[in-house]
Amino acid sequence: METGSIPRQAETLEQIDTADLVIGVLADLNEEAIAPLYQALQQIPGALRIAAFQDTHGRVPNPVKAEAGEALAAQTNPGDGSLLFAAPLTAETSEPSSPALSMFAAYQSVFKAGEKLKARACCVLVSKLQSSSPQWFCRFAQVLLERELDLLVPNYARHQFEGLLNSSIISPLVRSLYGKRIRNPMGPDLGISQRLFHRMLSADRSVVGAFHPLASLAPTALCNNMKVSELHVGPRTYPPTDWTNISSLLAQVLGPVFLDMERNAACWQRVRGSVSIPEMGEPVFVSEDAGSVDISHMVESFQLGNRELQEIWGLVLPPTTLLELRRLARMSVEQFHLPDELWVRIVYDFALAHRLRTINRDHLLKSMTPLYLGWVASYARDLQTAGRATSEHRLERLSLAFESGKPYLVSRWRWPDRFSP
Amino acid sequence: MWEQVRQALVQSTERFLTRLATLLPGLAALIVALLISFIFAYILAIAVRRLLTGLQFEERLARSGFSSIAEWSPMRSPVRLVSRTIAFLVILTGFLIGMEAFDAQWTSVFAQSILAYIPNILGAAFVLLVGAIVARFLARSVLIGAVNMNLQYARLLSAGVKWLIGALTVAMALDHLRIARSIVELAFGILFGGIVLALALAVGLGSKDLVTKSLERDAPKPPHEALEDPLRHL
Repeated sequence: METGSIPRQAETLEQIDTADLVIGVLADLNEEAIAPLYQALQQIPGALRIAAFQDTHGRVPNPVKAEAGEALAAQTNPGDGSLLFAAPLTAETSEPSSPALSMFAAYQSVFKAGEKLKARACCVLVSKLQSSSPQWFCRFAQVLLERELDLLVPNYARHQFEGLLNSSIISPLVRSLYGKRIRNPMGPDLGISQRLFHRMLSADRSVVGAFHPLASLAPTALCNNMKVSELHVGPRTYPPTDWTNISSLLAQVLGPVFLDMERNAACWQRVRGSVSIPEMGEPVFVSEDAGSVDISHMVESFQLGNRELQEIWGLVLPPTTLLELRRLARMSVEQFHLPDELWVRIVYDFALAHRLRTINRDHLLKSMTPLYLGWVASYARDLQTAGRATSEHRLERLSLAFESGKPYLVSRWRWPDRFSP
Repeated sequence: MWEQVRQALVQSTERFLTRLATLLPGLAALIVALLISFIFAYILAIAVRRLLTGLQFEERLARSGFSSIAEWSPMRSPVRLVSRTIAFLVILTGFLIGMEAFDAQWTSVFAQSILAYIPNILGAAFVLLVGAIVARFLARSVLIGAVNMNLQYARLLSAGVKWLIGALTVAMALDHLRIARSIVELAFGILFGGIVLALALAVGLGSKDLVTKSLERDAPKPPHEALEDPLRHL
């Protein structure tokens, strides 16, 4: 291992031989933010060779970055034994059609870089945390290496209306399927061991499609009894909601999650109940008061969907669910409440329809949008009427509903043709 | 005089009998061809029926949104519709081959023209099938997209797309069948333009209130425009 060196910038991945840790910086950070981050990475104890790649988001690397690199070189203590390479990250796919797909391709590139450099682990930085200090990310990398974890996921301090897709579907679904309470199974900031990214890259793609670089991580780690932990980090800055594109977002995120359910069916059908995973760091609390939400628009979307998409929902959902949805659609905004049990059955039925290819998968997932908005409206209304500091309890109740509804999923998964009232 | 009449009658009877005698082998061949084609059609129909039942054809058809086919199928079974259509085509082919055995100019021309027309029929059927699938797919895409955009006239748009593609498909199929081409072209132009105009009028004028309401709802206060919207999904 080289020691006493000064950080330098490599032009390409090919110019680096090996590394202990590969860092993928996918967050759109400016030069002022990158330099302290690289500098903080130098502080990780142990003589580590760190290769950091930055997603330039299609831009030509900015000359200012070189200045940042120079500044970094000047400030670094050459006696700490670490070595940092920094190079632009080039995603594999040439023209990803959306930001989400572009990000998935970037994850894949980071894993491939880790494999090529025979790294012990990879860390991916996607979020801009509200605290500007880069120390949290260094702690993230440090914990991953020191504890020899296979997957380290963040536990963000979160406002009650943030990360709703994760809270309403992904997290409780992963918990009920694989029996581990992971708050953010899809990161997006992640630490991955060599064992896990090797498995991700070398998986048999002919079985049920390719492994998804984000959605498949937690299920793969859990089904293979790998070491999974979560680290408490501060509040994350979430991107603003693009309401015109929410159905595409739903399809892009839920598609791989449902595909993974299909791939790991033999694993999750054996699991009952759930347990916590090891947590590290101190929980950070944020104010629960996140402002008021106008739910009328979402309730109207739900009502419109209920009126116009019956033909499609009728192919996916059993008659009792359709009946309950019709009853819900007649409720006023003030009374609107989508019960957790009903929402859980809807998610499970859509997952099953995805597996059975009941209709075109893109149509299926996009037709779920009004139902999802119905759940968001119901959740927002519950929190507004129940007062403060209840979001955790509300989400825990939802997770328990997912767990108690699992026999329904297992039964329908095994015998999909059996009549379901 | 009577002798001449008698001779003429004998000659015409001979000619009739000779023609009848020349037709008999052809008739026998036609009957044999029909018998063989009946047997072959029966076996093929059973095989197709079993194959499609094994492939859960009816369930797949229903899932793909073509459940209405069952309504005009014999015994409400699309499998029977397909197997009987195939059987009918086999029998028709056997009949045309049998006709060829008559060795007569007109039967040969008739059979050839019918046989030459079969590719057109198959082509038109294929165009109709593809058109129906595309129409169903696009109508669903438009319906889901419009609902997700909160457009109150989503179903109208979806139906418009379905009818547009339906009209286009039928016109293409009729053109393929070479039936009243000029009329089809004219009718298609009028119908296609009419549907587009009707859609434009319905959306723009007819459902003015709906559109205004929908646009109003979209414009000032939807969550995607509100700056203070605290909801974050991903």
